[in-house]
Amino acid sequence: MRSPTAEDEAVLVERARSRDRLAFEELVRRHANRLYAVVLRFLADPADAEEVTQETFLRAWRGIDRFQGRSQFFTWLYRIGLNEAKRLATRQPPAGKVRSLEDEPVPEAPDWSEAPEVRLGQGEIRRVLEDAIRALPTEYRAPLVLRDIEGLSTKDAAEVMELREAAFKSRLHRARLAVRRSLDEYFLEAEK
Amino acid sequence: MREHRWTHAHLSAYLDHELPDDERRRVEEHVGICPHCRRVLATLRRTLERLRGLSGEPQPRVAEGVIERLRAED
Repeated sequence: MRSPTAEDEAVLVERARSRDRLAFEELVRRHANRLYAVVLRFLADPADAEEVTQETFLRAWRGIDRFQGRSQFFTWLYRIGLNEAKRLATRQPPAGKVRSLEDEPVPEAPDWSEAPEVRLGQGEIRRVLEDAIRALPTEYRAPLVLRDIEGLSTKDAAEVMELREAAFKSRLHRARLAVRRSLDEYFLEAEK
Repeated sequence: MREHRWTHAHLSAYLDHELPDDERRRVEEHVGICPHCRRVLATLRRTLERLRGLSGEPQPRVAEGVIERLRAED
């Protein structure tokens, strides 16, 4: 059985398909923030991310007849937005060095899994994480952003990327290991 | 070595609770005897906790900007 929210959203989508703009505006209010946050992970400039978010909704509004309801509305929306962001990102110079995804162990790296948060400097850790995410190739960054930061289920995130779940999980695992390795390097450096 | 590679490849699925019971036990057995995999699992778990904390702040003007453009188009 679907949750009341999904039920409610299905009604909004149906109304939007009948060209009820107010219903579509409600869908915008529900999803614009999260879509913008996803898109911003692929584009360095917030103004570009805002433009892509707007374009995504305009395209969705113009093409909502093509939305068949086999997937959830937001997975369809994210797919449009993600493709548009990746298309634009390929035209921009890379934000930093793209990282190798080989999971070579970092020799002598400390076990930081129990390190107390207060001692670490939250801002510093956040910066290391953000840099590590930006350094991932886009086809690996997307699974990590959708699943781990935005909290989509594996099924929904794989659907956004039009990947089989097994392929999605494999990319997600490699992306997570690459980010973990960046933290290994950071803690090793911090210990010196 | 085979168990080591297999476990290493399934650590994410283990943390996501996406493994069947027999494979879950297989990971746990290997992690119990392999310090390297134990450390990767513990730090990977912590990495995921930190990634989940990166979710963005609300940006109310984003929705408003979209709605303005929608209204201008109609």
